[in-house]
Parts: sequence; C-alpha cells; structure tokens
Amino acid sequence: MTAAVLDHPVTATTLVDRRPPLTRLVGLEIRKILSTRSGLALAGTAAVAPAAVTALMLALADPPPGSATLLALLGALVALLMVAIGVLSTAGEWTHGTVQTTFLAVPRRSRVLAAKYAGTALLGAVVATVVVASTLAVAALGTGPGFSWAGTGVAIAATIGAGAALTVVGAGIGAAVGNAPAALTGTYLVLLVAINILNGAKPVWGKHVDPLSAVFDLVEGDAAVRPIAVLTGWVLATAVAGVLVTRRRAVS
Amino acid sequence: MITVTGLTKRYADRTVVDDVSFTLEPGTVTGFLGPNGAGKTTTLRMITGLVPPSSGQALVDGRRWVDLPNPSALAGVLLDAGAVHPGRTGRTHLAILAATLGVPVRRVDELLDQVGLGPAGRRRIRGYSLGMRQRLGIAAALLADPALLILDEPANGLDPEGIRWMRDLLRGHAGRGGTVLLSSHLLGEVEHTVDRLVVIGAGRIVADGPIGSLLAGDGVRVRTLDPAGLSASLQAAGLTVTDADGVLAVPGATAEQVGRIAAAGGHVLTDLRRADRGLEDLFFQLTA
Repeated sequence: MTAAVLDHPVTATTLVDRRPPLTRLVGLEIRKILSTRSGLALAGTAAVAPAAVTALMLALADPPPGSATLLALLGALVALLMVAIGVLSTAGEWTHGTVQTTFLAVPRRSRVLAAKYAGTALLGAVVATVVVASTLAVAALGTGPGFSWAGTGVAIAATIGAGAALTVVGAGIGAAVGNAPAALTGTYLVLLVAINILNGAKPVWGKHVDPLSAVFDLVEGDAAVRPIAVLTGWVLATAVAGVLVTRRRAVS
Repeated sequence: MITVTGLTKRYADRTVVDDVSFTLEPGTVTGFLGPNGAGKTTTLRMITGLVPPSSGQALVDGRRWVDLPNPSALAGVLLDAGAVHPGRTGRTHLAILAATLGVPVRRVDELLDQVGLGPAGRRRIRGYSLGMRQRLGIAAALLADPALLILDEPANGLDPEGIRWMRDLLRGHAGRGGTVLLSSHLLGEVEHTVDRLVVIGAGRIVADGPIGSLLAGDGVRVRTLDPAGLSASLQAAGLTVTDADGVLAVPGATAEQVGRIAAAGGHVLTDLRRADRGLEDLFFQLTA
C-alpha cells in the first residue's frame, strides 16, 4: 500500500450532480454479463451450438427440414439458454451481493432494472442474430437446391424477437426471485414440466401460456397474433413483477 | 454532511433501530460503535438507501440517498467486502463501477496501486484473501475521491501495515475537510482514529460526543515512591484514595490539588494524570 499523498481540500466533484445516462447503464449491464465466465459461456454456447445442431439435423433428417422449421427448433432451444442469461443478469447480482454496489451507485432501482431489461433484450437479439446467421449459413452450405427457404424472412425476424423477449423474461424472473439457483430451477420446472403437464391435460390452455410453443409457432410462421400475445404477456408479467419486488426488497 | 433524524427500523414486532439521530460535520472522523446486533449495519444501510426505514430519515448533503443523482461520487461506501462477483477480476470490478460513476479508467489503476493490489488486479476475485477483498472495497469507495466516506469494519483482514495506512488515509481525508463515518469493533483502532463517537446499543444511541470528553474520567491517578505516605496526606486533606498496586486513584481531585499536597508533604511523584477511561471500559459500560 502506498501512502496517500493527496493534499488538496476535499470538495464535491462535478460528478456528484451528473446522473449516469440510461444508455451508459444499458452498456454496463451487457458488460457485466459478459465479464463473467458463466455469462460468456452461456452467450457463447447459445450463439455457436446451433450451427453444430443444424449440421447434425441436416445430416440425419430425411428429408431435411426447411429453413423456417430449422430456426423454429433452434429458436426454442436457444430460448431456454436466453432465459438463463436473463436470470443470471438480475438474480446473479443478489446471489453474489453485487446488487449492493449497483444500488449504492444507482439508487433508483426501476432505472437499474430498465437498463437490465434493455441490455438483456439487446444481448438476446444479438445472440439470436448470430444463431440465425450460423444456422442459415450451415443450411446454405450443407443442402442442395431442393432445400426449402420458404418463410425464411419471417423466421429470421421472429427468432431475433423471441431471443430478445425470452432474455427479458429471464431477467424479470431473476429480479423477482432474487436468487439465481432458485430462479433457474423454478423457471425450468415451470417451462419444461408444469407447462408440459398442462399441455397434456388441457392443450387449449397450454397453447395460451406456453412460451416455447409460442416461439416455435411464431418462427415457423404457423401463427402470429397468439404467439406474440403469449410472449408479450410473459415479458410484461415478469418484468413488472421484477420491478415491484425489487423496489421493496431490502439489500441486507 | 449527514443528518440522521429519528431513524427507526422495525421487523414485525422487533425494533432493531430505534429513533436514532446524529449529525456528522465535515472535517471529522466519527466512530460508530456498538456490539453485534446493536443496529449499526442496519443504520448504515438505511442511510445509504439499501434498507427502507420504518420511520425517520437520513439526509446526505441535504438529500435522501435515493434523490442524489450520482451518490457514489459524493460518498464512498464500504459495507461488505464480500459483495463482489468472484468470477470478475478486481480491475474489472472497479472499471465497471468507475464507468457507472463517470470516473476515468486510469483512476482504477492508480487506486489498485495505492491499495497494494496492482498486479493482483488482473486476477479473479475468487482467489483474493479477505484482506485483499477489503482493500478492493476501500479502492471502490475512493474511486471518485468523494467528500464523505462510510466504512463498515474496513480494517477486517488488514495486516498492521494496512491498518496504519487506513488510519492515515482516514485522518488525511478529514484533514482535507472530508467527513468519515467509521464503524468498527476494533476499539483500539477506533480510539486512535476518530474525533467523535456515536455509540449504539440495542438499537438506541447511548452516547454521542467528542471522544476526549466521553473518555474523560473522574479525578486523577498518581504514582509515587511512597504510596502509603502520599495516601495518608491525601486522606488528611479530605480526599478519597484507593490504592491499586501502587497506583493511587483519587476521584474528584484535580492534578493541581494532588500535586500541591504531594509537594507540601515532600512526596516524589513518578506519574500524575487524569483518570481517563479506556474506550473498552466505556464501550462495555454503555452497551452492557
């Protein structure tokens, strides 16, 4: 440790009255996610793995699925990883205690969450764009002229939108639960078990709450209004729950 | 700089902080003392907006923490050195905070060097010792060279060199006109660092004032080559004397009174001082 040689009078710096702009906070939230091995691994896996899965599907399936079906399958798969990225961006801060530093620096919690939602949505859209690009590149290289490209435009837009939406859903759940292992376990139990049970027992109800089916249907171009309504409902419900709970929760 | 008024925190039927009020002025180091569970940390968290108070308020520079546009540029806070992501490097942790506050990134490297974490700054925090995490937390608190420092047990895990460095830092900060609120259970360290004490026990303020007046005891203590003879002279002058291993305690007397009586009786004095209490005695007396 070196001696503190400061001798100037302590005065409030000009920074004191400069509220950090929201754009800066959004960038920092993305940086936070990518500055940890878990966040980087999840984002990397979500971006890279689909190319390998696409190659495998094209090699094994006969006839090979069209581009929209490929993106629908991979989009639903990637959505599960995007939820995890979102959960870690919010609940991870509570689990590690870094939420203390975050809220000391930016005490308006709804502002922090707005930045987290925007940052995770942006990251989700970027990862989904990489997924789309790698999947379609593999499909273009690995298939012949008989390959179906029908509905590719809609599928691209839907995959990117769904990637952004599911990441925000994860961030909202993480903010509401405030504990990463509990939020991840609970989310996957709901998405993979509870909703599947509902789908088996009451398929009509399941269609109106299952976000993974909504992603699949939207990307494949089977429907638009219902899947968009389902995903919007999940985004709004989880984001609002995250804000309401976070604003009241004490940082201990 | 900080004005705390009637701050209270209740959890169901349990009151952990009860009507706490105090004011901190620039240019002072104030020790915030209390036993475990007395409400120190909860009070600090209410001041910094992390825990909502049940009633009362805390103002920093005239505003609630939540109303400050960039609070960490005004007040550097270290509450829990463990509140860091173990997977980030120390440098990344500071760089993210610096970017949030609008502090240039070169300040991060300056501070890492200043707290002795220069080369370690590029290592992941999970490999840091408690003392290293503490130094990282101190560096984070100092990032914007804030006017106010709020530190909860900052000496935890620091070696003697680090503790002396921190004492110099805090005294230097107050000397430059800054304000320091220091919570610590290292009473000896507090005694040598602070100007003022706020003592909390069972959620209530039990003492608040300059450390000199709080530690000032009643009477004098005197050593002499002939304790029995001096004791007899003092008692003959109407004073009460107790002898503890050759040290005479004379409650209610001044040093001048005792010195005059000793001189008149031809007693050689080897020590004569005000009967100050140690901080430890005061602490246990107030918080028992």
